[in-house]
Amino acid sequence: MLQIIKIEWLKVKTYRTFWILLGLAVIIIPASNLLVQDITSRIPKQVQSLLGTSAYDFPLVWQSVANVNSYTSAIFALLLLTLVTNEFTFKTHRQNVIDGWERKDFVFSKLFWVLALSVLAFVVSVLTALFFGFFYGTSAFNMEGFYYLGYYFLQILLSLCLALLTGILVKRAGLAIVLYLGYVMIFEQLLVVTLKRFWGSVGGLLPLQTADELLPFPLIGKMLPGVQQYDNMVYLIALLGYIAVALWLIFRRLLKADL
Amino acid sequence: MPILSLQNISKKYGPVQALSQVSFDVPPGSVFGILGPNGSGKTTLLSIVTDVLSADEGSFTLFDQQPSAKQRRNIGTLLETPNFYHYLSAYRNLQVVAGIKQRSEEDIPRVLELAGLTARQHSAFKTYSLGMKQRLAIASALLGDPDVLILDEPSNGLDPVGISEVRTLVKQLAQAGKTIIMASHLLDEVEKVCTHVAILRKGKLLLSGPVNAVITRDDFLEVGSADNKALKGVIEKHPAFLQLSVTPEGLLQVIFKEPVDPAALNNWCSQQGIWLSHLQVRRKSLETAFLELTNN
Repeated sequence: MLQIIKIEWLKVKTYRTFWILLGLAVIIIPASNLLVQDITSRIPKQVQSLLGTSAYDFPLVWQSVANVNSYTSAIFALLLLTLVTNEFTFKTHRQNVIDGWERKDFVFSKLFWVLALSVLAFVVSVLTALFFGFFYGTSAFNMEGFYYLGYYFLQILLSLCLALLTGILVKRAGLAIVLYLGYVMIFEQLLVVTLKRFWGSVGGLLPLQTADELLPFPLIGKMLPGVQQYDNMVYLIALLGYIAVALWLIFRRLLKADL
Repeated sequence: MPILSLQNISKKYGPVQALSQVSFDVPPGSVFGILGPNGSGKTTLLSIVTDVLSADEGSFTLFDQQPSAKQRRNIGTLLETPNFYHYLSAYRNLQVVAGIKQRSEEDIPRVLELAGLTARQHSAFKTYSLGMKQRLAIASALLGDPDVLILDEPSNGLDPVGISEVRTLVKQLAQAGKTIIMASHLLDEVEKVCTHVAILRKGKLLLSGPVNAVITRDDFLEVGSADNKALKGVIEKHPAFLQLSVTPEGLLQVIFKEPVDPAALNNWCSQQGIWLSHLQVRRKSLETAFLELTNN
């Protein structure tokens, strides 16, 4: 595996697009939280006293950061889609195998990015939450609710697995990006709204919606009118199930199909 | 021990039967040409050997073992087109290849020099001409000095000098004892370098084995005199005469039942009162023999 990581590093070390997208994906985490913090700080004092606590106070800061970041996971997915579709555009996925990788080594090389980007997003999120909690919050440090960042980690892991699957199936960069963003930003949302309207809670079980259900925005999220929710464990199991299915499809496709 | 042994390999693309029950062995140290017209299945066959495609039926062994990535790491392969990361330089692309092949990066300058790319080694691949891309693919195949090379149309996109250089390189590699499996539709290329051939047509193996055994090309004598009509009458009376054809220039191309010494024929004609003004031993071109084989 170390050998595979070394080779992936060689592929991106001098790839400018990679570093620009990565920088953007990382910067947007604190930047979007700064924006949301600014908005929440403008909530009139009377309302704030009603809520009792601010979204960036410990321990709510973990949940707030996790929720805000879940909206920007698509940027990491774009980065992954670029890396994956590059291989198909340049036909280097074939060359890697011809030169002496097992097909599964190629899958591992891309799963490495899924994991590495997820861990990076998680670490940056933890640091962001700590910074906002200490800098903008008024409460003492508290780890309660840290598990929301765990949910966020799973959300980005699932987002990247779906992006990898899209890249492998579609192969062409432009089309893969349009299809992925179209699904994530519009199509799934439409499906969720429709299902929730006609069939109730089951709408919350669509792939990325499972994570959204696990990551409501603190305070406000619970005030929004919505349908009856399942227990968090149901969403968690569904989310892990989707990751497992995506991985199975990725392996099946790359191990069996003609390259 | 054959380097590569194919047993009944078949492959379909939808309704198209790309390969049908192909079997042959590549002996060690041979320069093995896989010949066939465009679309005959040459690249499909090599793609199966390199695990890019899966065969529908049949099996093959590499170095007498079940094929795996380990064996592929010991084979230098150029398949179809040069596949490299467009944004990386030649050197960095070869670093990736060396990493996958688990070979030392110290060999990179040698292969770049062999391919004539040293001066441009730090330019991005996307800035390369078609010929330079092909040269880099050859350099990549040579990386780590493998004992076996698979070269699919190695002179594709090269200028005449480049083609000649590749041919010389293949000969040198063959002399050094390497086994080279080379797909080509350029018969001239095969005729000049290959020791063995397999001929494919529409996915079927027509013949395989040593070049001269597979493509029998009888010698014939081309003769001419001041009066070719009279010469024709005389030649037809020769005891070993088999058949004769006339070239557009009026010369006679004569095939005998058994080898006939040109000096003896010259003597025989003079005894019949005909003085030859043209006498040459010739051989059927590989192209003619190949066309006869693949068209029938």
